[in-house]
Amino acid sequence: MSGHDHRTDPSRRRFLAALGGTAVLTLWPGLSPAASGGQTRLVVVLLRGAMDGLHLLPPRDDADYLRARGQLAVRDALVLDGSFGLHPKMAFAHALYADKQLLPVVAVAPPYQRRSHFDAQDCLENGTASPGGARDGWIGRCIQSMAASEGVAIAQVMPLAMRGSERAEIWSPPLPRDLPDALMQQLQPLYAEDARLAPLFADAMAAASSDMGDTQGKSGRSAFRLPDAMAAAAKRMRGADAARIAFVEDSGWDTHRGQQLALDRKFSELDAGLRAIRDGLGEEWSRTAVVIVTEFGRTVAANGSGGTDHGVGGVALLAGGAVRGGRVIGDWPGLSAGALLEGRDLRPTTDMRAMFKGLLAGHLAVPETALETRIFPDSRAAKPLSGVVNA
Amino acid sequence: MTHSATTAAVNRFGLGAMPGELAQAGDARGWLQMQLRAKPDLMPFAGLPDSVQIIRREAEYRQQRRRARADGGQRPGKSADMAMAPPTAAKTVGNDIARTPLQQEIRRDALADLALRYRVAASTSTPFVERLVHFWSNHFAISIDKNSARLLAAPMEREAIRPHVLGDFADLLAAVETHPGMLLYLDNAASIGDDSMLAQRIERRDAKRKLGLNENLAREILELHTLGVDGGYAQQDVVELAKAITGWGTPLRRDAQNPAASAFVFRPGAHEPGARSVLGKRYTEGGEAQGYAILRDLAVHPATARHLSLKLARHFVADVPPTALVDRMATAFLRSNGSLPALYRAMIDDDAAWSADARKFKTPEDFVISAMRAGAMRIDRRPLVLIRLLQQLGQPTFTPRSPAGFPDTAADWASGDALRKRMQASGMLAEQLATARKPVELAADVLGVDAVEGPLAELLRRAGSPQEGFAMLFCSPAFQWRV
Repeated sequence: MSGHDHRTDPSRRRFLAALGGTAVLTLWPGLSPAASGGQTRLVVVLLRGAMDGLHLLPPRDDADYLRARGQLAVRDALVLDGSFGLHPKMAFAHALYADKQLLPVVAVAPPYQRRSHFDAQDCLENGTASPGGARDGWIGRCIQSMAASEGVAIAQVMPLAMRGSERAEIWSPPLPRDLPDALMQQLQPLYAEDARLAPLFADAMAAASSDMGDTQGKSGRSAFRLPDAMAAAAKRMRGADAARIAFVEDSGWDTHRGQQLALDRKFSELDAGLRAIRDGLGEEWSRTAVVIVTEFGRTVAANGSGGTDHGVGGVALLAGGAVRGGRVIGDWPGLSAGALLEGRDLRPTTDMRAMFKGLLAGHLAVPETALETRIFPDSRAAKPLSGVVNA
Repeated sequence: MTHSATTAAVNRFGLGAMPGELAQAGDARGWLQMQLRAKPDLMPFAGLPDSVQIIRREAEYRQQRRRARADGGQRPGKSADMAMAPPTAAKTVGNDIARTPLQQEIRRDALADLALRYRVAASTSTPFVERLVHFWSNHFAISIDKNSARLLAAPMEREAIRPHVLGDFADLLAAVETHPGMLLYLDNAASIGDDSMLAQRIERRDAKRKLGLNENLAREILELHTLGVDGGYAQQDVVELAKAITGWGTPLRRDAQNPAASAFVFRPGAHEPGARSVLGKRYTEGGEAQGYAILRDLAVHPATARHLSLKLARHFVADVPPTALVDRMATAFLRSNGSLPALYRAMIDDDAAWSADARKFKTPEDFVISAMRAGAMRIDRRPLVLIRLLQQLGQPTFTPRSPAGFPDTAADWASGDALRKRMQASGMLAEQLATARKPVELAADVLGVDAVEGPLAELLRRAGSPQEGFAMLFCSPAFQWRV
């Protein structure tokens, strides 16, 4: 940890922007709305806690896999291709695969490989090669670099990934009770005097009117699970003025013990989440790419307590009408003893930034200069993964 | 000391002013130092079950459920799983479906534990110490979305943290790392040395069944609890520490039935034999003691001093605290051989901690607790409402969702959505208020006369009803900061 904090102060940035749009350069020269991708949509889903890619996408009939995982090995996977299967709880995703709308990427990881959840998530979210590499996030910088595009994070706290843009908002389910707007509006002169909070006050007042009809989640008063979050994201991405980029997060994937039952439940939710966003987006689905990532994979071998420990290489899923799916991509290094990283983990062969860059370039038409200089600085070695979305 | 030092002592170092507290804290530093001289008050918590009792009851519950299943009958309540698998405090204590008597008992006590935590915070006369308790509880965060630890977070705070918050860091560290809450949350209770007697016996019996080392707790001890992520340790140190603390566990089901059972159990059979080397220092085999020896050295390591000082200064002074202040705190900590009061005193004695631009944005919990203190509220009488409110405001009790704890800067908490939620909560909080004071008087009581004069006073005087006025106070910009 360092004593200095270079975190972007969102209200300050917003304040500068309010002084005059030209004060902050947010437009890339010569970029028309059409060239910037038109109506395409991107949903980034972060599964916090390290989702076990080998459990989601087991290498079928791989003797090394079966040996290393023992009783934990998934033996009833849904068939994808000659090598890989999909966990049986992912039936909807499997149907997407058949429709060529699901594209798993194997052996992928962010550049950080030291097995700390928090550092790995920071690295994944900040879009640099290290956990402390930036105090804002690649999605925030991407939104900032696109003309008139907005982002929404379904979260109670602004995630690092989306910090750095004044056009990114967070949303979480409203409280059951509310005060009258007119009463709150009286506070406006007071907030105007507080430079840090004034822009947030404006956001708060604007949001008050847009919450009509949102519930706390279908499953109950306090439960707001991944499918609810996906539905909430979809709602905010429909229509012309809607958010083009959404960030959804989920936790509870750190399966050091009792992995089998835990992941049965979590994969069911993930599958329901995919269905919820497909249904919620309606016709926007055809122009949508969803990317589901996690901070790292888990140890190839099961541990002594029916689970797996922190590893390195993992799996990402791309899904959506815009995705060129129906195949599994990524170089598979294998699970033989000699192929493993440090003798224990799946060796990553794709830098996660290469996948993100491929999506931003191919799907949102973000120009190369922006990708290489601002959004993913110093990442030239991670060449954008091409051909992940339909031309 | 100026008047603003008094409000800083009460609102920034403390938990937010109760009416009358600003007058008591006229000597700001003296008021804080006096609190450090008191003994931690454990009396309010005396009636709650301890961790052993909780573990025993949970074991009983699981046995009941298994028995019921074996009998082919319905499980004791189909709701059992929902009650026992909560992602948040609200779910642990908050679902209303029919339960067995045992389940009701577990739920009732878990709820009482949380209610008491907030009752103490809302009413304590040593709020600086109470804030320190919450700080360390978050430093050693256990997140109750992990099922095995969900009933033990509040007990860990009162059993391991409270007694040591004014002692040596080494004792605090040892108490936390041997508490069943931490041992279960970070999986050490299931960690078994690869060459331990237990691992070998199991392997002989069933070659397919593999038990082994789990390095989760060891990693977080180094990364989060002591040295910090840049503290200069390597993967090998993680593994060595993990081996040293193999055998540190919690009572098994059959142990828990023993009335003399203790919440911490050392299992020699699971302990990895041999000497260990951590940060270049060799620790001879000593069973249970080997891990303590390593923790004692980690507790007073210079990297630990820096890490703790930075986190404390960030919590009490500013999101980006002055480097010189952090350095002076770290020096005082090391010079005192790891005394926490010495560390706290170095902070409050330092003028940098009282500078005019020192301020912190309230977390949701700060916001709710300070409102409760301002209005002498008893919303802990309806603990479920309180627990749900904290979740809706974005800080569900004991559920930071990671061992790193809740974040601690304005960038993490200040947003339009957060402000909107506080506005929504203010009306409810204002309804709970039990005071004869007028809104403008209460505002002066808690924010200080200077902060209230002008537009805020004007607004509060104009309010259509006292309740409206109190609500406006709680969602005013001045109430969002610890200044």
